[in-house]
Amino acid sequence: MPSRRRTLLKVIILGDSGVGKTSLMNQYVNKKFSNQYKATIGADFLTKEVQFEDRLFTLQIWDTAGQERFQSLGVAFYRGADCCVLVYDVNSMKSFENLNNWREEFLIQASPSDPENFPFVLIGNKVDVDDGNSRVVSEKKAKAWCASKGNIPYFETSAKVGTNVEEAFQCIAKDALKSGEEEELYLPDTIDVGTSNQQRSTGCEC
Amino acid sequence: MSMEATELQDLSDDADYAASQQQGSASMMRSDSGKRSLQSEHEDAVLIYLKDNVAIHPTQFASERISGRLKLTKQDSVLFLSWIPYKGQTSNAKLSEKDRSLYTITAVPFTEVRSIRRHTPALGWQYVIVVLSSGLAFPPLYFYNGGVREFLAMVKQHVFLARSSEDQNVFIVNDFQSPLQRTLSSLELPSSLPVASGQSVYPLDGGSSSENQRRTSSDVGNRVSSVSQSGFRKQKSHDPTRDLSIHLLEKFSLVTKFARDTTTQLFSENNGFGSIDKRWNNQPVHSYPEKLSNIAEEKHHEIRHSYSENDLLKDDEISYIDVPADPLEFDKLSLMWGKPRQPPMGHKERRNDISPSIKCRISTEYFTALLDSEGRVVESKALRERVFYGGIEHQLRREVWPFLLGYYAYDSTYAEREYLRSVKRMEYATLKQQWQSISPEQAKRFTKYRERKGLIDKDVVRTDRAFEYYEGDDNLHVNSMRDILLTYSFYNFDLGYCQGMSDYLSPILFVMEDESESFWCFVALMERLGPNFNRDQNGMHTQLFALSKLVELLDSPLHNYFKENDCLNYFFCFRWILIQFKREFEYEKTMQLWEVMWTHYLSEHFHLYVCVAVLKRCRSKIMGEQMDFDTLLKFINELSGHIDLDSTVRDAEALCIEAGENGAASIPPGTPPSLPLDDGTLYPQEDDVL
Repeated sequence: MPSRRRTLLKVIILGDSGVGKTSLMNQYVNKKFSNQYKATIGADFLTKEVQFEDRLFTLQIWDTAGQERFQSLGVAFYRGADCCVLVYDVNSMKSFENLNNWREEFLIQASPSDPENFPFVLIGNKVDVDDGNSRVVSEKKAKAWCASKGNIPYFETSAKVGTNVEEAFQCIAKDALKSGEEEELYLPDTIDVGTSNQQRSTGCEC
Repeated sequence: MSMEATELQDLSDDADYAASQQQGSASMMRSDSGKRSLQSEHEDAVLIYLKDNVAIHPTQFASERISGRLKLTKQDSVLFLSWIPYKGQTSNAKLSEKDRSLYTITAVPFTEVRSIRRHTPALGWQYVIVVLSSGLAFPPLYFYNGGVREFLAMVKQHVFLARSSEDQNVFIVNDFQSPLQRTLSSLELPSSLPVASGQSVYPLDGGSSSENQRRTSSDVGNRVSSVSQSGFRKQKSHDPTRDLSIHLLEKFSLVTKFARDTTTQLFSENNGFGSIDKRWNNQPVHSYPEKLSNIAEEKHHEIRHSYSENDLLKDDEISYIDVPADPLEFDKLSLMWGKPRQPPMGHKERRNDISPSIKCRISTEYFTALLDSEGRVVESKALRERVFYGGIEHQLRREVWPFLLGYYAYDSTYAEREYLRSVKRMEYATLKQQWQSISPEQAKRFTKYRERKGLIDKDVVRTDRAFEYYEGDDNLHVNSMRDILLTYSFYNFDLGYCQGMSDYLSPILFVMEDESESFWCFVALMERLGPNFNRDQNGMHTQLFALSKLVELLDSPLHNYFKENDCLNYFFCFRWILIQFKREFEYEKTMQLWEVMWTHYLSEHFHLYVCVAVLKRCRSKIMGEQMDFDTLLKFINELSGHIDLDSTVRDAEALCIEAGENGAASIPPGTPPSLPLDDGTLYPQEDDVL
């Protein structure tokens, strides 16, 4: 069904201010890290071409402001999303605790057709900081949260060093693609996303 | 005010008013300073040259012309140029007396003339264009009986006249430098003239940034070629073989008509100033003659406009989408009103051969001249006007910003301000002490404080760190920024801290160089812009709404386009408005723009007109490429660093004047940065904990 092929996959990155959303996006798209990113105001996105099998897609990755009071803008930015990436800082408990808010807020504002099965991916960023000594959110805790939300794929990354960023986004792209195709086929119930494939660093088998 | 209106009315009604009263036309062609003395040059002026049958064409029809007499007179060794239309002798009944008086040139001294461009085609009429040093140009003066050569020869006998090295038809008066050529070449229309590469545009910012000018002029060659390739191809009925003069005539005639319509409207409404925002009726309104003096400016303005747009877009592709015409009938032509900017206030005092400390003192002295003996700003509107039309020399910002921001009252004395500073310094220390006294133990039980501090800590270290003042590890200014923001979040606990505040504070701290003073300036700014950061985002939504109304008013096809493409929320302008273009311009330019906006000279909401100006410049790109919301957002974000400040501000000024009352009425009362309407709960609290 070539005519129905989607070529644009829209991904939204959400999470508290300063967890590294902009850095993750830039590391993935531009293979660059800077200490001088400014706080994101409003929203912006980068695009990257990705290939699956013999098909080429444009991954449109949206970076948003992290402060809660800007969430009301989400309505405009979240619509049409194919996947939502939740990011927290493994060195900040607060950023982890806020994940529920971000997830719920996204589902409300984006109002996807099938919220139960809408693909999320969780990223615990900044694993490089202080060689992990200042880490406050354990991998176990993060995975438990993922399991409770329908087995969300989980990655631990360092946007600064580049660790695992490519892997995380490959999974994100696959999830987005699957989500997009489901929408096209209008058969949301036939795909089972609920199978367990949330192993750290191994990518998702979806 | 009413006196002035009456006078102006007289002028507009009586064609000979200007001729008989030098005052009228002297002010009509008033130079930037607006202070040129109204010479009584005829009393003992010597007539040097007289030429009859010199005409201007207010419309594109050659039959419609206003003939008059061109004169050169000399008084006190200064040469003056005059052109007075013949009384009651228009070639066409359609031309009113008003038309004729519009163009009267009375005794313009050659010290204010920058150049004269001659056009002497083998066929057709000869004409000259006189360009003033302010950048204004008079409409072409047609020598129906020939004689341009003689005229120039006569001028040359009395003033230093040098032929431009770039264009042999351009004669520079008292020239010293290249900026003249810029002005001259900018007179030419790219669509009708092959513009040689290497020519440059009109100086962008009155010389305050020579580096920028150099960069601009070096880029122009490329831009010119791309403009001629694409920028004008969409213009209907464009025929490259058409004579420049016809083209010029067309342009001028459109402008003339536009000017006439606008000014007629201006006078027909109450008090003669109806189209100017009533809320500003305590401020000087652009006088009628002053506006007219800008008519001839559109040449260079338009060409710069084209360059800038093209520069922004970088894309030479020709759009095949038929973009609806701009509803402002003359589109870019109508954007010619904005006056040229002056050098920043205090600039004249700047010299390179003296130390910075003396420079500072001199700048301060310049400002001091605007104060009475006790330090009151004698005429705040004059100060605000001066800043609006040129910004402030950096050394002087520290003195002036507190007034613009409302921290200092204009009518305060030196002593009162000194007292205020000391009181406020103590008050600041007390406020700062509130959070400084929180012990680590207390902080553990004070989540809001911890989180707020954490957010501020995160943001200050990523605010303008590439800028010298804030760069490097353990930068003390970054610490000051943190302290001020944290103190502010206690001063205004309900509003707290929100991202974007550090963007505002950074230039303020850089300018004020004092923690307490910066804090109170920031407080004053937040009195107006605090609603931008409300939890309910109401201040932002109001402004975005007002912006949509202004675009609807000033560019309905673009508005309709946004409507059809689901872009009416204007979220793509969110960053522009939240931090008033801080991320769109380089640091110095941002400060220039801010001080211009903070004058509230034409409108409190000048920033919204700046938004419209930028959008308007991009309209053909946006509509031609049929951008959807995402593409538009990306496009707008990527304009950052590519917007020309000077021409944008001038466009915004033009739009603001043009919108007049209707513009003001499009903006709901209380829209930031207007002061809040009531003293109720300024910052509604919701469940957001920060």
